[in-house]
Amino acid sequence: MNAKANKNQVTCIEPDYYQAITEAIRKEAVKILKDETVVGVVGYLPGRRKGTASPALVTTVEEAEKLIFSPACVNNLSVYLTKAKKGVLKQGKVGIVAKGCDMRALAGLMTESQLQREDLFIIGVVCPGVYGFGVERTGTLTEANIARKCRECTVHMPEGADVAAGTHAELADLTPEEAQEMARIEAMPQAERWAFWKEHFSRCIRCMACRQVCPFCYCEQCLCDKNRPQAVESSPRPAGNMAWHLVRAMHLAGRCGGCAECERVCPMDIPLNLLNRRMAQELKELYDFEAGLTPVDKGPLNQYKEDDDQSFIK
Amino acid sequence: MPQIITEQNLRNLIDLLVKEAKLVVGPKLSGSVVLYEPLTAGSDLTLDALPRRSSKELFFPICEDILSYKRENGAMKVNDVDRSKFPEAVLIGAPPCDAGSPAILDAVMSWDYKDEFYLERRRKSTIVGIACTKGDDACFCRAVGLAPDAEAGSDLFLTPLKDGSYACNAVTEKGQALVAAHQNLFSEGAGAEPKPFVDQAVAKLDLVKIKKWLEEHFEDPLWEKIADICVGCGACAFICPACHCFDINDEGSTDDGVRRKHWDACGFAKFTNHASGHNPRDVQNKRYRNRIMHKFKYYDDKFGKTLCTGCGRCIRACPVGIDIAEILETINTKQD
Repeated sequence: MNAKANKNQVTCIEPDYYQAITEAIRKEAVKILKDETVVGVVGYLPGRRKGTASPALVTTVEEAEKLIFSPACVNNLSVYLTKAKKGVLKQGKVGIVAKGCDMRALAGLMTESQLQREDLFIIGVVCPGVYGFGVERTGTLTEANIARKCRECTVHMPEGADVAAGTHAELADLTPEEAQEMARIEAMPQAERWAFWKEHFSRCIRCMACRQVCPFCYCEQCLCDKNRPQAVESSPRPAGNMAWHLVRAMHLAGRCGGCAECERVCPMDIPLNLLNRRMAQELKELYDFEAGLTPVDKGPLNQYKEDDDQSFIK
Repeated sequence: MPQIITEQNLRNLIDLLVKEAKLVVGPKLSGSVVLYEPLTAGSDLTLDALPRRSSKELFFPICEDILSYKRENGAMKVNDVDRSKFPEAVLIGAPPCDAGSPAILDAVMSWDYKDEFYLERRRKSTIVGIACTKGDDACFCRAVGLAPDAEAGSDLFLTPLKDGSYACNAVTEKGQALVAAHQNLFSEGAGAEPKPFVDQAVAKLDLVKIKKWLEEHFEDPLWEKIADICVGCGACAFICPACHCFDINDEGSTDDGVRRKHWDACGFAKFTNHASGHNPRDVQNKRYRNRIMHKFKYYDDKFGKTLCTGCGRCIRACPVGIDIAEILETINTKQD
């Protein structure tokens, strides 16, 4: 389906829209649990507080009937399918509720042989957007409370899902705040840009929330946890913090699908997705590659080609 | 007759304390977040929002050097940190959920091992708490036995009044001394009406009942149900006013380096990983269980206190929406 041709731009997304997605997810989840297509479904359940939702690992029909989709369904659930969450799900085919941005992570994990497509039943969500952080969580999604990543979303349609829940709708005329911020930082003199990041990283408390929610941070031994010998200072101090975030940005280059979960969960408001997006831009320029659009055999940094650009070797 | 201080005089007090070379720490806007940071002037004080991290870091910093070492002429020289140089400090503008935490942590920090880094800072600090008239649906201080006007932990306690001034109660000798030394900033009077407190969504919890349930349900399906979604970061513990686990790392080289103490969290998989490779808390829900057990059972067993002030920070910050208040409510209503 051509998403552009079906564009239905509106000024706000009413709760009814999400309710329709909710109904579709429940119906599908109940069906695949009942007919034992899957052993469980990873979806969202409502939180106690208004305008909140939590990831849920659902294995019964009763639970599946409580699944929801709302603008509070911010999490990228693909993290629950990774090695990092090994053992949480029973062995067997698993259902997962995935927005377009989450689908990119699934495609990336397939590229990296972490997942097999046939082990998944993907309930794709035709997602108009989710809430940003620290905004009013009322029923209606508007320009005022939509997440920064959603302002520039190019994957409203969950291409490649087994079923898609929802019909296409998206907010009109959103300011691309992140692109503007990227341009502002890019225009800075180098020293100023360095100071910008130093200031942000000085607040880092090394809670590792960025790593733990990232679908691609599935290493069983993270470099920054090593202490004999220590590769990156593990104490939360400016030098180690800087090293950690730069190492992570490098390791995600050509892999990060742009879900911006790391930025969302940072309790210290460090704009981490700017780093990931900058690396993605490099990959696009150097290799004409965008991570996670579809599963591929190998990403550009995992292979060697005779005609690779070698101009960086001095 | 209570003492009253106007908002301007509260800011003037901060200016004076800074001039007296005291370390004055209070809520301050730092980039896009409010944090407890050293105030350089009274105008820095920001009382609109609960700081993103708790005030425990005044006593228990994110990271601190505990010694340094250097090999000189073949001999290793170890330099201790001179704790006598820690500055006299005033923590100002901490709501009860933050001001109350040292009163809880003193017990463990001065137990069999005396943590002199913590204790020296405690001795040298005065806490000016402030009644909380803000709050959101994550707040649950009343549920765990505190309150928006709880004075526990504060040396001097301020209550915001409707006319913008504050009623002051000197709770301890330290608080009395602070007022006495700056008496001209305070006036005596009945004062205006106090500002109202915000209602909280979580009803008072029966902590005795919860503790009893925890005692009997170390193994329970609840743990998997609530905690399998935990992704194992340390956000909840790090921003918590009561969590106090730390790690010690030697950083530098074998000839020249620093021994550092820094925050650690029981949610991390490596927290209980033994050198042998065995990990007694091998899955995430066991780690999360420890968080609840430590706060509502173990700490009470040892020190007779609950290791939670109901600030709600972990609820707001949890990447996957784990809601400790909801979990406590669930346990509170359990029949067996």
